Amino acid sequence: MAAARRSPGSSPHHTDLCCRTVLLLRKMRADVSRLLEAYVEKQGLDKNFSLDLVDGVPTASTEQWSEASDAERLGDNLKAYWAFQTLLNEILEEQRSSLTPNDLDFHESIQSVLLQVSALAYQLEELMVMLEHSVPAKELEGIRGARERGLFEKKLRGMKVLQELAHWSVRSVRDLRQLSKPVQTGAIPHVSCCLALKK
Amino acid sequence: MMKVFLLGLALLRVDSLMYPAVISPQDPTLLIGSSLTASCSVDAGSSLRAEDLYWTLNGRRLPAETYEVLNATTLSVTISSLNGSQQQSGDNLVCHSRDGGILAGSCLYIGLPPEKPTNISCWSKNMKDLTCKWAPGTEGETYLHTNYTLKYKLRWYGRDNTCQQYHTAGPYSCHIPKDLALFTPYEIWVEASNRLGVAVSEVVMLDIVDVVTTDPPSNVHVSRVGDLEDQLSVRWSAPPALKDFLFQAKYQIQYRVEDSSEWKQVVDNVGNQTSCRLAGLRPGTVYFVQVRCNPFGIYGSKKAGIWSDWSNPTAASTPRNGRATGVCEPKNGEHNNTLRRELKQFFGWMRKHGSSYGCANLSIKMYDQWRVSLQKSHKTRNQVLSGDKS
Repeated sequence: MAAARRSPGSSPHHTDLCCRTVLLLRKMRADVSRLLEAYVEKQGLDKNFSLDLVDGVPTASTEQWSEASDAERLGDNLKAYWAFQTLLNEILEEQRSSLTPNDLDFHESIQSVLLQVSALAYQLEELMVMLEHSVPAKELEGIRGARERGLFEKKLRGMKVLQELAHWSVRSVRDLRQLSKPVQTGAIPHVSCCLALKK
Repeated sequence: MMKVFLLGLALLRVDSLMYPAVISPQDPTLLIGSSLTASCSVDAGSSLRAEDLYWTLNGRRLPAETYEVLNATTLSVTISSLNGSQQQSGDNLVCHSRDGGILAGSCLYIGLPPEKPTNISCWSKNMKDLTCKWAPGTEGETYLHTNYTLKYKLRWYGRDNTCQQYHTAGPYSCHIPKDLALFTPYEIWVEASNRLGVAVSEVVMLDIVDVVTTDPPSNVHVSRVGDLEDQLSVRWSAPPALKDFLFQAKYQIQYRVEDSSEWKQVVDNVGNQTSCRLAGLRPGTVYFVQVRCNPFGIYGSKKAGIWSDWSNPTAASTPRNGRATGVCEPKNGEHNNTLRRELKQFFGWMRKHGSSYGCANLSIKMYDQWRVSLQKSHKTRNQVLSGDKS
């Protein structure tokens, strides 16, 4: 679709930013995996639970992944991580107030991932600005519905958020790799991400 | 990585779905040993029927004989003699469809009401703040999250204040950083509350000047005492934070050898002095030394005071025996024993033959006295050693 629409040239600054973003994604993926394990245990849940009924969480899956333009690709990532910021804040608040109020170490783990997501969103936004893509509007309203949820639903929702965040951390690395690929027309690569991408 | 990604791609995007059933009661709080009857009602418009449903509690399927079909769309379950909640986040009571799908869930909080907190003890670091800790009731945590609130007021005319900084000195503690009065007793108590009730501790009364502690002594230096192989000298500074207050200080010193974890407390209740000599140590050995301080009698307080934490360990080594290195010397004690035995024989001989030499009063006790003086004076020891060599 729009894969060939790329602005010219990469700079060392682009490359550096891209590298940092990939490294952050890798760190986040490892931390989210650990957090998800701890989360499932502390909420007494089962990893095999079907979470299809949980709504309002950005899913990493897409049917037109390879057809997205760079701007769409980065924009989708950015919007997802903005949403995860809100969702993780809600999870943290629920854990503090109702579900695990004594478990301060666990709260710190959530907080740590939340900070990584914030940093990631910031870096993606910076990358979009550098590449002269328009940054999508930030929706101030939360994406969750207004319906009051029971505590069990909140537990499931938290699990879904962490699962999807783990999926997004994988997709985002692939998205950045896609950005760094040479354009089919033979033009100069748009962004050259660091070697860490190839692992 | 690819595998995980493809798995992610396989997930379908789901928006604004609703759970197709409702459990009642939602998230109840119950006493240990009580019973619960819960019902799961599926949406009348769905294809689900009550007889197709089943229940799990914390992932374990509940037996069908505890179920009752209340109507075409509602299935109830009765659970007797409930145990305390398995996890702090609540037990998961879940209503499933025949294929195992989750239709609805409810969290059960099962525990006991709190008991009165006990053993409230408080201390003030350098009279600037106040920290209190307490023990939860005899049952400890009661399966339910229990909130503890420390409250305090000046005894005669104060209003209730609530401590804000919890867990500063362990799980059951609170720190009041400032705005504390001296010379007027405070009343202090702790309120415990959870989903099943509230319990209030006895009121403790104290004056800040009676519960003062301080920082560990600073500038702890450990050094050798000349060549004395069994002694080390320890020096430290009085706590600077209390320099403007009238108080007395007691100090304690403890030490251990490098390869042991067992501290030996050697000096207790040293007065206001800020130095001490450790004796009877092993030669050529690294020692760790710590000092702590108890400021008492502040503004004439009659209370015993509270010991500070120990200072960080300071290390020093005693000198090796003053013999040539690389030579297999007998152990210090063996060496002394051999010498002592020879001297005893010598003095015995002297007593027998002493009158002819004018030394009839010589005895082994003199040797012991000489050893004591040797420990006290490095100079004397050197003279004796040089005399030995000559």
